[in-house]
Amino acid sequence: MPLSLNYLFRRLFWSIAVLAGVTLLSYLILVLSPGDPAAKWAGNPRGPGAAKAVELARKELGLDLPLHLQLLNFLRMVFTGDLGLSIAYKQPVYSILWRNLAATLELLFMAYIIGIPLGSLLGIFSALKRGGHLDGVLQTSGLALANTPAFWLGMAIFATLVPYGFTAYGRISTNLAIATNFQIFTGLYLLDALLQLNAPIFFDVLARLLPPALAVAAYPTGVCLRIVRTLMADALLEEHVRVAVAWGVKRRTVVWRYAFRATLPGLVQVSGLAFAYSLVDAMVVEYVFGREGLGRLLFDAISVSDFRLAIGLLIVVATFYLIINTVADVAQALIDPRVKL
Amino acid sequence: MRRGLTLGVAAALAILVVTTYFLFYLPTLERPKLKTIVYAYCDKITGIDPSIEDDTGIVILGSVYETLLRYNPLTGSITPVLAEGWERSKDGTVWEFRLRRNVVFHDGTPFNATAVKLSIERARDVYRQTGRGCGYIWDAVEEVEIVDEYTVRLKLSYPQRMDLMAAASYSAYIFSPSTLAEAGVENPLDPDLELWFNQGNDAGTGPYFIEFYSPESEVRLRKFEKWWGWSVLNNPEAPDVVVIKIRTDPLDQYNGLLANEIDIASSVPRVNIGDIVARGYKIVNLTTFHNYVLLFNTRRHPTHIREFRLAILYSIPWSEVVRTALKGFGRLGSGIIPYGFPGHVDELTYEYNPELARKLLLESGVEPGVTIEFVYQSDYEENEAFAQLLKSRVAELGVNVELKPMAWTAVKDAGKEVWSNPERAPHLIISDWWPTMPSPYDYLYSLLHSESTEWNWAGYANTEFDKLVDEAYQLEGSNYARALELYSRAQKIVYEEGVAVNLWDEVRPFVLSRRVEMPEEALNPLYMYVIRFEYIRVKE
Repeated sequence: MPLSLNYLFRRLFWSIAVLAGVTLLSYLILVLSPGDPAAKWAGNPRGPGAAKAVELARKELGLDLPLHLQLLNFLRMVFTGDLGLSIAYKQPVYSILWRNLAATLELLFMAYIIGIPLGSLLGIFSALKRGGHLDGVLQTSGLALANTPAFWLGMAIFATLVPYGFTAYGRISTNLAIATNFQIFTGLYLLDALLQLNAPIFFDVLARLLPPALAVAAYPTGVCLRIVRTLMADALLEEHVRVAVAWGVKRRTVVWRYAFRATLPGLVQVSGLAFAYSLVDAMVVEYVFGREGLGRLLFDAISVSDFRLAIGLLIVVATFYLIINTVADVAQALIDPRVKL
Repeated sequence: MRRGLTLGVAAALAILVVTTYFLFYLPTLERPKLKTIVYAYCDKITGIDPSIEDDTGIVILGSVYETLLRYNPLTGSITPVLAEGWERSKDGTVWEFRLRRNVVFHDGTPFNATAVKLSIERARDVYRQTGRGCGYIWDAVEEVEIVDEYTVRLKLSYPQRMDLMAAASYSAYIFSPSTLAEAGVENPLDPDLELWFNQGNDAGTGPYFIEFYSPESEVRLRKFEKWWGWSVLNNPEAPDVVVIKIRTDPLDQYNGLLANEIDIASSVPRVNIGDIVARGYKIVNLTTFHNYVLLFNTRRHPTHIREFRLAILYSIPWSEVVRTALKGFGRLGSGIIPYGFPGHVDELTYEYNPELARKLLLESGVEPGVTIEFVYQSDYEENEAFAQLLKSRVAELGVNVELKPMAWTAVKDAGKEVWSNPERAPHLIISDWWPTMPSPYDYLYSLLHSESTEWNWAGYANTEFDKLVDEAYQLEGSNYARALELYSRAQKIVYEEGVAVNLWDEVRPFVLSRRVEMPEEALNPLYMYVIRFEYIRVKE
């Protein structure tokens, strides 16, 4: 068994510490920066009672307490799973988060479905052609893809499509959604369309999802291409691979079963790290394509001093990082018997 | 081999069946054809409690709820909505409203005097207890008496224009008493009722009801077939579904128009208006009561000196402001109150007079080379353009202006600081305002009264001004003409002291797609950003 209880406890401890750290730091930055959350909570009141309303709101939010008590109260809210109501929207923070998280995840998953296999295949191909012109072209492309800002790429894709009458604006065609009585169950529109066997919506959502997903996929594609190429090139020179070739094992078997398998632990680890980076990319790209999601939500929450929503969102993002990295660690341990956790 | 072939054929068949179902069968299913429009609104929705909301929620409230009366700024008249008629006592302290019959709320319950009593009292009492909302419009109301099912009598503690208050854009909406049971509360002031509303529930009588509510991204309204007004309007082309998309970035709205995803855009970059017209979109310009007021910090050197303030004001090339800063989408302000709004005064404007400005600067005793700070909201392109214009012209006087564009929340923080720490508050600041009720008091009290420490960012405290504004408000119910005269005098004081000036009244271009027609009745500057969708005609 590659997993130990010790590992799990350590991981849990550090995860809680990271979440507490994110909470405290975000709280300090957001509450101490300009903007009065109490005024927003009170609805930016007008008239003769405005000052009174803001003072009452300050008490309701606990902002009149000493800073250490505010921090303790907020930590308690975070770890009891109740962040209360959003200051700007007066709705439970978690329900707002879920609506927008689903949008971002859908984009991110699609980018990964494109990016990881594509990057891996190109990496394998590049490794098999190592030293040749094609290898050089692919390696340079990988470098370019991994380093092109997703924001810029998103704008370029959007602008390129517009003259051809194809726009990937928003997540769904409003008219079509209403005409086909599309219902939202999970917030993942592709899945919801499948559940309702709603083909027009499925293809509409897919068509709007692909262009931004391509922009987000650039980074994982580039990174995977380069990492697989490097690991694969090494693996192809390994003794066991050369013996397999010498014994006349089929080329496909040698490539996939012996050489590519050796790249998997590294690929899984890098994919985990790239996921974190791509999450940020997705948050930016969705803005370019007029899609709702965590990026837009975070920007808006900060601009209106909605510290509850902003911190809730940062906690969700941090939790994703922790989960993905843990999954990557565990997957690596399961794939590679040399790794013990 | 045979097994593989069988599996392959089975998979191909399955794909064929699914594709046929998706592509050919489903689209043939009969679906009702709905007229849908998408309105891109430029801000997040901050709440939809009809008694408490005092900000951007008006965009929803204006279509879902109705007031007793409505104000028509073009004629200055009041028109009936949920009240068919009204009378007042001679001294203006008793008002009686006769209510419209056969009106139902969205939940099917009947509209009557009980609903009016509950709605007015809740707005008033929430305000009295917490200061939240705009319930101060009902401040004078001592008692709401139900005379019969369709008549209410308001008894006031002092004379007040209840016809104007009943037409206010906030806290004057009537909601169904059934909401209490729906929300599981007994007391209308229970915070759970506000939570219930803000979850996306509604209980109005308006032409549309809320079908989906996600205040950060989208709100969907559906036509209320039982609305009493459909038979009056006779507009069969009114939209069945209205989708209000929250699109805060003007460029985002522009992209949405190009993508045919938006039918009405409320905020497109001014520089793109020409392009959008060339592409066949229509523009409807609304001269609004949303104005931008320049305030001087009266508690900090050198803007506490009257002559210095006037020197700045006379050095601004006012005729260039609308053309340069607003690209034509604005009307130069006068006094504090916007054009067309009760209490507006013409000719309280300054002229560009560099010689006079230099003379006044000399009289102020402030040496050239002094630096003043100017704070304004960074995401309004007009503010930035005006600030640059002011900076360049004031530099000719020998006064340096340090521009400090900020996010709105930071602007408000900086403005309020004039009361707690005037030396840290900026010398100049731009505030923007839109009205709650059709009364000059709304602007003058909020922006310049010494008790209004939340919004009086000039730190202005002038007992004569305060007295005039307070007295005028008290007189509105008994001697409206005299009240307007006092408001005018109050503005004259501000003008002579150069404390604040209305820079411009915003002209907002609404951009319409080809399939939408918007008659002028659909817009009313008192109800800012509210589009009365029942008037919209959708061409399919």
